[in-house]
Amino acid sequence: MGKMESALIKDQVREFIMTIAVRRGVPKVADDDSLTSTGVLSSMAIFRLVSFVEETFSVAIDDDEITSENFGSINAIQEFVLGKLDQASAPRKQ
Amino acid sequence: MAYHLPQLLQRSAEQRPQATAVWARGCTLTYRELEERSNQLAHLLRKRGIQKGDRVGLYFPKSVESLVAMFGILKAGAAYVPLDPEQPSARAGYIISNCKMKGLVTDSLRLRKLDHETIEHRALQIVSGEPVEKELRNSVSWEALGSYPSDRPPDLQPATTDLAYILYTSGSTGEPKGVMISHQNALTFVEWCANTFHVRPEDQLSGHASLHFDLSVFDIYNSIEAAATLHIVPEDILIFPTSVAKFIETHNISIWYSVPGALVQLAQHGKLTKERFPKLRTILFAGEVFPIKHLQKLAELLPDVELYNLYGPTETNVCTYYPVDRSRLAEMEALPIGRACGNTEVFAVDEQGQRVIHAGGAGELYVRGPSVTLGYWGDPEKTRKTVVPNPFQPNFAENVYRTGDVVVLRSDGDFDFLGRRDHQVKVGGYRVELGEVEAALLRHSAVSEAGAFATADPTDGSRIHAVVALHNGSRLSESDLQQHCALHLPRYMVPADIQLREHLPRTSTGKLDRVRLKAEVQPTSS
Repeated sequence: MGKMESALIKDQVREFIMTIAVRRGVPKVADDDSLTSTGVLSSMAIFRLVSFVEETFSVAIDDDEITSENFGSINAIQEFVLGKLDQASAPRKQ
Repeated sequence: MAYHLPQLLQRSAEQRPQATAVWARGCTLTYRELEERSNQLAHLLRKRGIQKGDRVGLYFPKSVESLVAMFGILKAGAAYVPLDPEQPSARAGYIISNCKMKGLVTDSLRLRKLDHETIEHRALQIVSGEPVEKELRNSVSWEALGSYPSDRPPDLQPATTDLAYILYTSGSTGEPKGVMISHQNALTFVEWCANTFHVRPEDQLSGHASLHFDLSVFDIYNSIEAAATLHIVPEDILIFPTSVAKFIETHNISIWYSVPGALVQLAQHGKLTKERFPKLRTILFAGEVFPIKHLQKLAELLPDVELYNLYGPTETNVCTYYPVDRSRLAEMEALPIGRACGNTEVFAVDEQGQRVIHAGGAGELYVRGPSVTLGYWGDPEKTRKTVVPNPFQPNFAENVYRTGDVVVLRSDGDFDFLGRRDHQVKVGGYRVELGEVEAALLRHSAVSEAGAFATADPTDGSRIHAVVALHNGSRLSESDLQQHCALHLPRYMVPADIQLREHLPRTSTGKLDRVRLKAEVQPTSS
């Protein structure tokens, strides 16, 4: 996964997060800010976020993976998506 | 039964001093530790000038210290006021001033965000976290507790009618109002719960609801009353059903109490199976209507759990209950709110002021009994509107509470909920007065008119939408307005979308016509 691509992932995630954040009255979200304690993510928004990630990056997300470790911050989401994409492309690396 | 809330703790501490009273974020306190620390806090508060009847705020995320603070304040003869740690500091500031709070237990993070004027006149701040700047003369560190007596509380002649806590809820004219709850009010509910749900020392209760939400009264006081253990659910996992399910499993939760929305999420995404939760025996839910099809799913996933629908406004805590009859669940369209709890009477009054006695009759639900609130802090006028003389008691003065909820009497004697008489809606179980949302929008100097309405939402019950007209020449975006709302309203009250119009529809008397507003405006988000 190239540096350009992982930066692009983060940009897309950040843009989506900001549309939610602004609606919740949170004007700025740093990449490592907790999305729960800043109140950006609500119980409804989390599932919109999951759908967005699934559709945008063509990955399938299991309910078990919807945790604060994977979705707790913009950085966490980027790491999680990178991990999923690596998994998907792993067989080709042999 | 006890007449003063701290007696619940004292008795359990005598019987099971080494048992774990509370778990939060990896910390625990035994009953003895909780009893001793709260005694120390009570002495500290008295020494620093807190007197009987004073109000002391709690403004920090739920932790074991929350319980020390609640009991310490009560033992000092004062009343605690839980402040939503996530509400905007302007709203917290309003509440602090409104009830003339004498003291505040908070953390340095939140203290810094409060207006200097708001806290300057407070007698006392007890702060945990980083050391406090020297300019705050009346600050004391939480660590100072250690130097106060721990073996017994101050000797103060408490009575059951003393004020125990004030819970602020949405107010229709724009500012939140403080519901005053006495020890007697709270204990009426706690006693009924103890007799109905048979909480035992072996039980592990979840603490899901925030402290400013009265669901938490069961979690804390019924756990303490039974000498059981309370497990506070960490805030950062609340929105992740997988993590919440894991929490229930790991902590062997046996009794869960929350709003239906949390249970709907768990049923849909939490991978619930009865094998994962062998100890889970009872689920209570309250705060909003539980969509039947999701309840049916939950019931299927957890066949051995007893399910109860609880109903009641903050002003009375729970006043009716309905144990879910699983054999009839498949054909039900909506859950009844049930019948009166112990030591409570409920009745419906129709438009003619008559008591509803025949099945099918509808009216406003009234509540009578020792659970009825003392009223709204500092607002006798608002109090008089809902805490009224019992229309059916000619012989002596007796108050009843008008819920503003319209109900229908069923042939089996249970009640069904029909709707509200006014403009109050529920979002995630929390009360929202549409008037408070409108008032917040109108605070913006560019806004000349504001109207709010609600549509149904599958998870949260209701979704709030707003429409605004601006003064000539003003330009504001939807997100500008949402950010403005976020400064004045708790998050669940910020409208999901805000549209701009030239004018808002009015009735013939010039009042905002919300019905036409809702009909004319298409909400932008689906």
